[in-house]
Order: sequence, then C-alpha cells, then structure tokens
Amino acid sequence: MPSLRELQSGFMHALLEGEPDRAAPFIAPQGIAVAHRLGVYASNARSHFIESVISSYPAIRRLVGDDYFRQCARGFHTRHPSRSGDLQPAGTRFPQYLSELHGNDPYRYLGDVARLEWLIQETLLAADHAPLDLAKLARVAQVDYDELRFYMHPSARLFASEFPCWAIWDANAGSDAQPEPIDLRAGPDRLLLVRNTGQLRFHRLSLGEQAFLHSVQAGESFATAVERGAAHCGFDAATALQRFVVNGAIVGCR
Amino acid sequence: MTDVRTRGARPSTGLGPKTGIGLRAQHHLRVLSESPSVAWFEAHTENYFADGGAHIEALAQIRAIYPLSLHGVGLSLGSADPLNREHLRRVRRAVNRFEPALVSEHLSWSSFGRRFANDLLPLPYTDEALRHVSTRIAQVQDFLGRRILIENVSSYLQFQCSRMPEWEFIAGVAAESGCAILLDLNNIYVSARNHGYEPQRFLDAIDPRAVQEIHLAGHSAVQIDGQELLIDTHGAPVCNAVWNLYCTALRRFRDVPTLIEWDTDIPALDVLIAEAAKADALRADAHALAA
Repeated sequence: MPSLRELQSGFMHALLEGEPDRAAPFIAPQGIAVAHRLGVYASNARSHFIESVISSYPAIRRLVGDDYFRQCARGFHTRHPSRSGDLQPAGTRFPQYLSELHGNDPYRYLGDVARLEWLIQETLLAADHAPLDLAKLARVAQVDYDELRFYMHPSARLFASEFPCWAIWDANAGSDAQPEPIDLRAGPDRLLLVRNTGQLRFHRLSLGEQAFLHSVQAGESFATAVERGAAHCGFDAATALQRFVVNGAIVGCR
Repeated sequence: MTDVRTRGARPSTGLGPKTGIGLRAQHHLRVLSESPSVAWFEAHTENYFADGGAHIEALAQIRAIYPLSLHGVGLSLGSADPLNREHLRRVRRAVNRFEPALVSEHLSWSSFGRRFANDLLPLPYTDEALRHVSTRIAQVQDFLGRRILIENVSSYLQFQCSRMPEWEFIAGVAAESGCAILLDLNNIYVSARNHGYEPQRFLDAIDPRAVQEIHLAGHSAVQIDGQELLIDTHGAPVCNAVWNLYCTALRRFRDVPTLIEWDTDIPALDVLIAEAAKADALRADAHALAA
C-alpha cells in the first residue's frame, strides 16, 4: 500500500506534468480509463489557474485576443504552477513570462503593459491607510525635517517603462470600443499608482519626482530623497512633498 | 485593515434553519443597494484574503446586515505537506474581521511539494489518511480557536488502497478531530453515481448531531470512453435527484442551515434567491409531514 506521501507525489506529477503513469497504479480500474479520470482533474487544475490569470489581466487578454491569451496562460502554468492555495497570486510572474516570450520582437511592450496591470491589482487589494496627519507634521521643527522618513500608502506603486503602457492599458480596459492606434514611441511612462478614498488614481511623474519617491519607498531620509530628486532638472522638494501628501501617496513619517 | 467590529451591532451570529446563498463579487452592489431578502450568505474565504480594498469593504458592509459563513477552498487539509501557516493566518484574519457563524473547509487535498493543483483532490480512505487529516483539522481548530466544518467532495476516481467507504471516513474524521460536517448533497450524488452506490447509504452513516450545514448545487455530465461521468461544476440548477435527496436528508438532519452554491456561469441574484426559496418550501413541507 502506498503511503499518503507517495500517492500524492505521484498524483501531482500526473496532474502537472501530464504523466498519468505516475498515479495510475494507485487508482482502481472502473471502466473509464484511469488516464481519462486523471485528465478530469488535470483539466480542472489548468482551468482554475487560467481563469485566475484571466481575471488578473483583462486588458492584456483584450489586447492579444482570447485564443492567444489562453495559449500563453497554458504555457505559463506549465512553467510556473501555482504555489498557493489562494489563486489570486497565480499571475504574479506572468509579466516576466510575457517579456521573455516577446523579448526581441515587436510585441515586447506586452510584458510592460502586463506589469502595469499587475500593479493595478496590487493597488486595488492593498491595505487601507488614513491620510497624513498634517497636525503631527506641523509639530516637526524645520531643523528636524532632514531626518524625517516619510512612508507611502500601502497601495502606492511606482511604474516605469519605455513604452506608453498606460495609454495601451486604458484603451483596453473596461470598454468594448475599438481603440485608436497608439504610437509605441509615445513613451516613456513614469507613473505613481495609488488608491485614494477608495479610487485607483494614476499620476504622471517627472524624473526628479520618480527618484524622490523611490527613495521614500526605500525608507531613506527626507534629505536623501530630496538629494535624489534634485539630481534631475526642475525638481522642487516643497512642491513634490505637497503633491504627494495631497494625492494620498505619502501618508506618514517617522 | 478594515475594522468591521466598530460598525455597531451585527445580526445574530447564528444562521438559523433558512436557506442562504453563495456570495459572489458580481452581486455585491445589488446586495448592498437593495438588501434583498436572503437569510444569510456564504463567502469563499480566499476571495477575501486581500489586505484591503473594495471587496473587503463590501463584505464588511454585507456582514453588517446579514449573517455569514466563511467557506475555504485552499487550505489543503489532507496534504502530506506541512500545513500552510501563512494561508491559515489569512483564514484567521478573515474570521476575525468578519466574525462568521460557521467556518468550513473541504475533506480533500490540493498541494504536494509546494505545488498546488487548486482543485479538491480526493483522499484515499485509509487509516493513515484518517489520522493525518484529523490531526490537521485539530491543529486548525486550535489555531482558529473554534470548531470548523469539513465538507465531502465530489470524486471522479477511487484509490485501490482505500479500506473504508467515504461515509465511514468522514464520520471517523469528525469523531477523531471533533469537527462538524458540512454535507454536500450534490457531491454525495455525483460520487455515488460515478462509483455506483446508493447515496442513501452515505446519509444513513452520518450522525445527525455532527451535521451543521447542507450544500446544494448543480453538476454536469460528460461522456468519457462511452460512459457517463458526473462533474461537480456548481454551474447549473440543483437537479431533481438532488432535490429528492434533500427531502430525504431533511427527515434525518432536520433544522440544518442549507446553502445554494453556484460558482461558474453565475446567474442573476434572483435565480439564486428562487433556488433558496425552493429549498425553504421543501423544508416547510418536510416539517409539516413530520408534525
């Protein structure tokens, strides 16, 4: 008699590697071929995974069409099977998979658009947080500002790409209208995504603002973040801080 | 994190004997805007694992109006793998957030070697599996600080090494772990047809005191190798044979809360409410006959 471990090891190989012989000796013959019975489970496993990836990437699916999306998702499942009992994270590495698939062809922007779509998911599912307590900030003496470490809303995500990914995503998200052609040379995109009062917001960033927020996100001091921002033309620390407090990206300091 | 406990008094934590329906995200808005007459809702625990966001907020608001049950599909209680503590912590967070009347999981497995099939795979009905899954259920109950329910699953194959029928296995697990049973009548029917036994035998073997919830759902049939195999799709109305089984079960299990499950090709909320009304009418008839 196989141990539970032996049985489950063989069964999982049969399902995910398409090797029914690994589980066949454990299964009672009952009319329908054992391989076909296992096929029902293999098909379920693949289908649950693919449906989860579809739900995470509706714009990419619309962009490439359902047939090609499912073909990619099947290949992705074979390469990166689920690592969790919760299927929500199943599509985590799908952008990277698409980038590898189209690394050197005219569709190499797909991976970046998928990366943006995944960050949108993360923004929508992140924890809530109250806005910055301005009264607390007002109590900080001017001389102590340099050592402050601001932190961002749990939903805040930074995105950069050489392609106009937001325009491509926006044209394929939530509308059945035929999108206008988009010039792939209309990038680059530098974006901040954040959920503010329940709504997903996109904010375009200058190079200085992007460097400033990367520094804040890394937990560096305000002085260092300002220094990183000021390395780029046109960056103004007071304007940047005000912008990111008002739009809900910066929510606290320590 | 949304602190739903600050929202004031919630409805009773008990579900009562009336029929509830499975809650799906596409029904959130209608439920919140119209507060339809539904006795209670059951949500898939994993659908509310997020740290925050619209779905968490919606369930918190629904929970402020309706009793709730949380039904997990991914804990993989029967896996020989170590218990996934991170998954379990998220289950506990959902339980603390939403204070459900019932918390349930499946008598199945879905992972091995840290890879997941994300399907409800059948266990071999052996003494080893019985001890293993009972120990794991006891660990989960200790971690959550409450009794959970385990649900029988549909199966499309049987293992050579099984040494007892499924009903003896689930009854043994309930007795050894102290958990309650969520009896899915559609799953009993599907497995009974697929493996050639009378579903009544399953019902007769289950201690009525252990059953705390009943599930009703639809299934589909496929032809493989010239034979019919029933597949648990949760994507169709409850069939007549399962309604008949429900009438039989009502006589044995009496006032147990019933749930209408529908997880694929999800219809309008009204269709689910009509299925729940049918279950309530059958329960009323069964009680009238018994009186």
